[in-house]
Amino acid sequence: MNPNPVTIVMIEDDAGHARLIEKNVRRAGVCNEIKHFADGTSALAHLQSDAVRAEGPVLILLDLNLPDMSGVDILAKLKADEKMRRSPVIVLTTTDDKAEIQRCYDLGANVYITKPVDYENFANAIRQLGLFLSVMQVPEPE
Amino acid sequence: MAAPADLRNDDSLRLLGRQGQWPLALGFAVLVLVGAINVWLVRSSAEQNERVAHSFEVRATANRLLGYLQQAETGQRGYLLVGGDVYLGTHREGVAQTMPTFEKLQQLTADNPSQQRRLAEMRPIIERRLAELDRTVELKAAGRDTETLALVRSDLGKRLMDDLRRRLGAFDAGERRLLELRSQRADSGAILLLVVTLAGLALIVAIAVVAYRSVARYTRAIELTSAELQLLNTDLEGRVAERTADLTAANDEIQRYAYIVSHDLRAPLVNIMGFTAELNAVRGDLAAFHAAAIAKAPELDTKEARAMIEEDLPEAIGFISTSTAKMDRLINAILKISREGGRVLTPEQVDMTALAENVVRSIHHQAGEARIEIKPLPAVVSDRLALEQVLGNLIENAVKYLDPSRPGEIVVSGIERHGVTEYAVTDNGRGIAPGDHERVFDLFRRSGTQDRPGEGIGLAHVRALVRRLGGTITVTSEFGVGSTFTVTLPKTLLKMGGRA
Repeated sequence: MNPNPVTIVMIEDDAGHARLIEKNVRRAGVCNEIKHFADGTSALAHLQSDAVRAEGPVLILLDLNLPDMSGVDILAKLKADEKMRRSPVIVLTTTDDKAEIQRCYDLGANVYITKPVDYENFANAIRQLGLFLSVMQVPEPE
Repeated sequence: MAAPADLRNDDSLRLLGRQGQWPLALGFAVLVLVGAINVWLVRSSAEQNERVAHSFEVRATANRLLGYLQQAETGQRGYLLVGGDVYLGTHREGVAQTMPTFEKLQQLTADNPSQQRRLAEMRPIIERRLAELDRTVELKAAGRDTETLALVRSDLGKRLMDDLRRRLGAFDAGERRLLELRSQRADSGAILLLVVTLAGLALIVAIAVVAYRSVARYTRAIELTSAELQLLNTDLEGRVAERTADLTAANDEIQRYAYIVSHDLRAPLVNIMGFTAELNAVRGDLAAFHAAAIAKAPELDTKEARAMIEEDLPEAIGFISTSTAKMDRLINAILKISREGGRVLTPEQVDMTALAENVVRSIHHQAGEARIEIKPLPAVVSDRLALEQVLGNLIENAVKYLDPSRPGEIVVSGIERHGVTEYAVTDNGRGIAPGDHERVFDLFRRSGTQDRPGEGIGLAHVRALVRRLGGTITVTSEFGVGSTFTVTLPKTLLKMGGRA
C-alpha cells in the first residue's frame, strides 16, 4: 500500500534480546524490514547517511545500555536532526529508573517501554508493540 | 608525635600550679602574721597612752594635795589674824579634802613601790601638820591668843610644810621621770606601728604582684593547652568527617555496584527466560510432529523418544524456568534494597500509633482470625516511609509465621527511655530456633520450615532501614512459643545531607 514501507531500525547490543524482539514483532504480524545495529556508532552512521535521510520513513527501537555510547545520547542526536526528529523513537530498555524515563521523554522519546524480565510479559509487550506499529502512521520525509 | 608533647605540657602545667601555690601561701601566712603584729602594736600603743594619761593624773592629784594643804594653811592664817567664819571655812575645806586626795594618790600609785614608800613616809607628816593646824585654830577659838602665838612662833608648822613641799617635789619628780619614759615608749611604739604597717602594705603589694604573675602564667599555660586541645579536636573532627566521607563514598559505591550488577544481570536473564520459552514452544511443535510421525509410522515409536519429548525436555525447561524466576526475584530484591539505600530520609513528627493502625489495616486480609493489639506508642521524629516499611514487615512477618495450632495473638507496644524510643512486635507464633536468631536478618536467609512464600528479604531490608534510621533491631524468641522483635530508634532522626 505504502510506496515506501516503514523501516524499523533496532539498536540493541544484546543479540538475544534483538532476536526475541524480532521474533515477537513478527509473531504480531509485522512484516516491515527490521535493520539491527549492535552499537550506537554504526546505528548513527546508518541513520545519518544521506540515503536513509532522503529515503523512507523510519521507526527506531532504542536500547539505552549500549557498549559505546548511551542510548540517551543517540536520542538527543536524533531529536536534534532536522530530518530525523519526526521519526518515532521507542525506548526499549531494562532501566526502570524514574529519572531516566523522565529524561528520555524530555528529550523527545515517543514511547518508553521497560523490558519486563518475566518473559511472558516481555513477549506480550513486544507483541502489543508490534500491533501498535502495524497501525501507527509515520511521517513522510520532507 | 603528639603524645609526648601532651605529656610534657601536662607536667609543666602541674609543676606551674605547684610553683605558683607555695610562695603565694607563704606570702599570705606572712600577711596574717603582719596583721597580728599590727593588732598587738595598736593595743600596746593604746596601753602606753593610757599609762601616760595615768602619770598625768598622778601629777595633777599630787598638785591638788599640795593645794589643799596650802588652802588649810592659808585659811588658818586668815583666821588667826582676823577671826571670822569665812577664813575658818576655807581652812576646814582644805583640811577635809587633804586626806581623801592623799588616799586617791595612794590608790593611783598602787603599782609603784617607790612612790608608795614616799607616800607612806609623808602620811605621818601630813597628819602632824593637820593636827598642828587644828590645834592653833582650837586655841584661837578658845581665846587663848598667847598660846596660839607661841605655837605659831615655834615654827613647827613651817618646818612640817617645807618638809612636805620637798617630799611632794621629789614625788612629782619621780612621776615626771616615769611620764617621760612612758611618752618615749608610746612614741617608739607609734613609730614601730607605722613601720610594721608600711611593711605589711609593701608585702601586700609584693604578694599581689607575685599572685598576678603566677595567675597570668597559669592562665597562659591553660590557654595554650586548651588551644592545642582545640586544634586536636578540630583535627579529630576533620578526621571523623574524612572517614565518614570515605565510608559514605564506599557505601555509595556498594549501592551503585548492587544497582549495576542487578541491572546487568537482568539482561542475560531475559535471554535465558526468553529462549527457554522459545524452546518450550519448539518442544510443543516437536511433540506435535512426533505424534504425527508415529501416527503414520508406529514402528518409529520408542519409549526413549517419548520420554525425551514428554518428560526430559519439560523437566529441564521447568527447572530452568523456576531457577530463572527465582533469580529474577533475588535480583529484584537487591535492586529494591539498593534503591532504598539511596533514598533521602526526611525526618518528620510521626504518630506511631496511627501509623501502626494504618499498617494493620492494610494487611487485614492476611491477618485472618489473628488478633492484633496496638498499645499506645510513643511518637518519634523520623522518616515516615521507612517506619511504615519496618513496622509493616515486622507485623506481616508476625502474621505470616503464626502457629496454626493456636489463635494468633500479636501485640505492638512501645516505650520511651533515655532519648530513645523502643517499639516491640510480639507474637505467639512458631518462634525461631536459638541458632537462627542472628541469621534471620541476613539477606536471602530464612529460618524454620520453608513452607511460606518469600525470599528471605524482609528482615534484611528491615535491618538495613533501621540502621539508616540510626537504630538497632534485636529479636528474642523461643522456638514454638513466639518471638519479639524490638526496634530501638533515636527519638529524633538527625537530618543528613544527601545520601547516607
